[in-house]
Amino acid sequence: MRELFSNSSDFKSSDVEAGHLCYRLFYFDTMIEYGVVQDHIIQPLLHHPNDSVREAVSVLDYIETDLLSEALQALITGKTVVQKEGEATLYLLGTELKKERSINIPVNERVLRGSNEALIENLSTNLNLLRKLIATPDLVVKYYYAGEKSNTKIAMLYLRSLANEDVLEEMEQRIERIELDYVEAPGFLMELIQDHKFSLFPQILVTERPDRVRSYLVDGKIAILTDGSPDCMIVPVSFWAFFQSPDDYQIGWLIGSTVRFLRIACFIFAISLPGAYVALVTFDPRVLPFGIALTLQSSMQYIAMPPVLEAIVMLLTLEILREATVRLPSSIGHAIGIVGGIVIGTVVVQSNLISNMMVIVVSFTAIASFIIPSYEMSSAARILTYPIILMAAIFGLIGLEFSFLVVLTHLARIHTLGIPYFYAWKNIETIKDTLFRGPIRSLKNRPKENKKRTRSSKGWTK
Amino acid sequence: MIRLKEISLIQLFCLVALSQVGVRVLTMPYEESRESGYDAWISVLLGGVIAQVIILIIYRLGKRFADRPLPEYIYAITGRPLGLLINVLFAVYCVESSLLVVVSYSDVINRWVLITTPWFVIIGVTVIVAAYIASSSLQSLTAVTQTIMFMFFICFIFVFISGMGKGDLRHLLPIGTHGITAILKDTLPAFWAYAGYELLLYVFPFVKCKRKRDILITMSLANGFTTFFYVMISIIVLYNFSENQLNSIPEPMLYILRQFHWPVVQSIDILFMTIWLSVTIVTVFVYLFLAARYLAFTGGKEIRNHPVLIWILAAICFAVGVLGSDRQWIFQFASFHNTASIIIIAIVPTILLLVAMARGKREAG
Repeated sequence: MRELFSNSSDFKSSDVEAGHLCYRLFYFDTMIEYGVVQDHIIQPLLHHPNDSVREAVSVLDYIETDLLSEALQALITGKTVVQKEGEATLYLLGTELKKERSINIPVNERVLRGSNEALIENLSTNLNLLRKLIATPDLVVKYYYAGEKSNTKIAMLYLRSLANEDVLEEMEQRIERIELDYVEAPGFLMELIQDHKFSLFPQILVTERPDRVRSYLVDGKIAILTDGSPDCMIVPVSFWAFFQSPDDYQIGWLIGSTVRFLRIACFIFAISLPGAYVALVTFDPRVLPFGIALTLQSSMQYIAMPPVLEAIVMLLTLEILREATVRLPSSIGHAIGIVGGIVIGTVVVQSNLISNMMVIVVSFTAIASFIIPSYEMSSAARILTYPIILMAAIFGLIGLEFSFLVVLTHLARIHTLGIPYFYAWKNIETIKDTLFRGPIRSLKNRPKENKKRTRSSKGWTK
Repeated sequence: MIRLKEISLIQLFCLVALSQVGVRVLTMPYEESRESGYDAWISVLLGGVIAQVIILIIYRLGKRFADRPLPEYIYAITGRPLGLLINVLFAVYCVESSLLVVVSYSDVINRWVLITTPWFVIIGVTVIVAAYIASSSLQSLTAVTQTIMFMFFICFIFVFISGMGKGDLRHLLPIGTHGITAILKDTLPAFWAYAGYELLLYVFPFVKCKRKRDILITMSLANGFTTFFYVMISIIVLYNFSENQLNSIPEPMLYILRQFHWPVVQSIDILFMTIWLSVTIVTVFVYLFLAARYLAFTGGKEIRNHPVLIWILAAICFAVGVLGSDRQWIFQFASFHNTASIIIIAIVPTILLLVAMARGKREAG
């Protein structure tokens, strides 16, 4: 053991002489809680020299082993290994030092109403949060490990009576099939367990809100948490889950439905608006009313660039600005906003590089894409914009129609874990909580993904 | 391997209704009014009635073999060699339908919207998109179709509101003066306009329903819906144009739309054609899909690679479609295809049903 860790300066061993017995402790001094080792291991051993280690030590996490490999693993995770002189048995005692961020408010998923807790990087704390929210013996937590070197701990949560067994089995197989040295959670994991590797659209919902995880769990879905990341993955989700927000369920159903519908409409705008604009001004200005056509004409009079280029340049600029604001320290981030908004916006128009109508269109597109609650989905929308602009530039409105059909088909072809991704209009039942958010009384049945038909989480007994 | 899953009744409705309506809406009562003039709407209505009769026949046939699609049970009725022939015939017919729709619509687009775009580009893009949709499973295909239903309703509203324009009811009067023979003669060109319900031959076993009767009811509703739509369009057109005008306007619907100015949209005809493209393409991809499925059963056992078949058929469509840029050719093709439709979707299923009844072939159990 010494040889293995001899390079590490923080690997320590110390001897404890208790009467005629001699114990040796091995530990990483950066990983252990000193107080625990002193009060609960060393002191008892000194005071009760005649008892066995099990009787003396007052540590909850207690394992005996003969295997060196197991002991090594334990050392790395912050346990203290105790060895009695002349015995082969190793005692692994849990003395991990827990250093973690305090639980604070969600940064990426703001809501107006609802809980203000967010998941953190520590897996056990997260599980604690979730267990507290779902206080039922039905909740199952299963651990898996992925990655030879990284040994990432993965926890799969589901409600035993509700989750679909086929999906569970499939998920388990997929996690166990991962053969990598290093698994970066949750990004790698997401990529490895999703069905369609070449799809732009996210097939796994990522959330940092425990209350949201709960709402999906009681719908019979599976949540996957990984150690070291505050993000929880939800599978299997449909396309519509990316447009839901916990807020929808906190305010009245009419307002909730309106807002959700607005989000879906904005998704369509974000994808197609620049394309539609390009198609209209280059191909069919006839479609527009005369007055508007004249306005467009006057704004585009001195512009040298064709509308396609205008749109792409402007969207790229926006994308660069967005990325810059994300990466920069927040103190400089505000300055970027000013540079982007005022300087680029106004100067570009005044110098006749870009028409002011285009600036309006592009800004609207950007805002529309930011309204989508899921970051992955809004990125997908922003990337999709470019091919659609090209199609519109080549075929006009017809091209727009074609791209719409292709995107739609792609969505219809995606299956997540054998469940269709895009099934909105199969029957009335499914519309209720996808396109709109129906009144709670009507949300009787769980989503179709779940084959076990029982009364829903909303628990109305009527 | 394609995942064959069930489709719901609503989906069946969308599939049938949208396969039926297509390019013909643009030219609607033009061909039906060659003989019967302003009584064309009666011909159109009768066309719907005939379609209903054939739906009944197909339904009876499907009910006898409720767990398999036509290309599989055909062998049980006619034996091997003849069954093979009929399967190939059906496949050819379906490809032909696809091709005709692509060519006719591209022709319309080329004259109204994309005037300078080369012919082969329009054909190419249309065929590629349709083939992409058709290469998915039946379930995905119907999901797409359902979404397109919304587009259809938008168009429906366009047509309805624009048609309330400056017409004259007297164009429709007096009813029935052309005599019954003229009216009946004009139901024949309407026949192909209604084609699309024969997809039931294939999808019957994949419909999820409590009773088999529901399939018939849904089919009839879809057909009724189409009939209503067609008759409405015919009446709107006849209401707007006199008989003499009709004889010189091949695409009356578009002219009506062109005259109409909405405050938000200047020329609604272009918008209509753009949206209508999605409705038309349903017919294209449904037929492509069916053609591939019929072909899949021609071999000794089912050919599992559906997408490959689709792309091969699409390539054929494209090749023939590029050659067909001549309008006269399209007209000949359309009239030939109309005859072919009558044979394939009216006469063949009838004979099959009679044979099946005579031989008393039923599903075991």
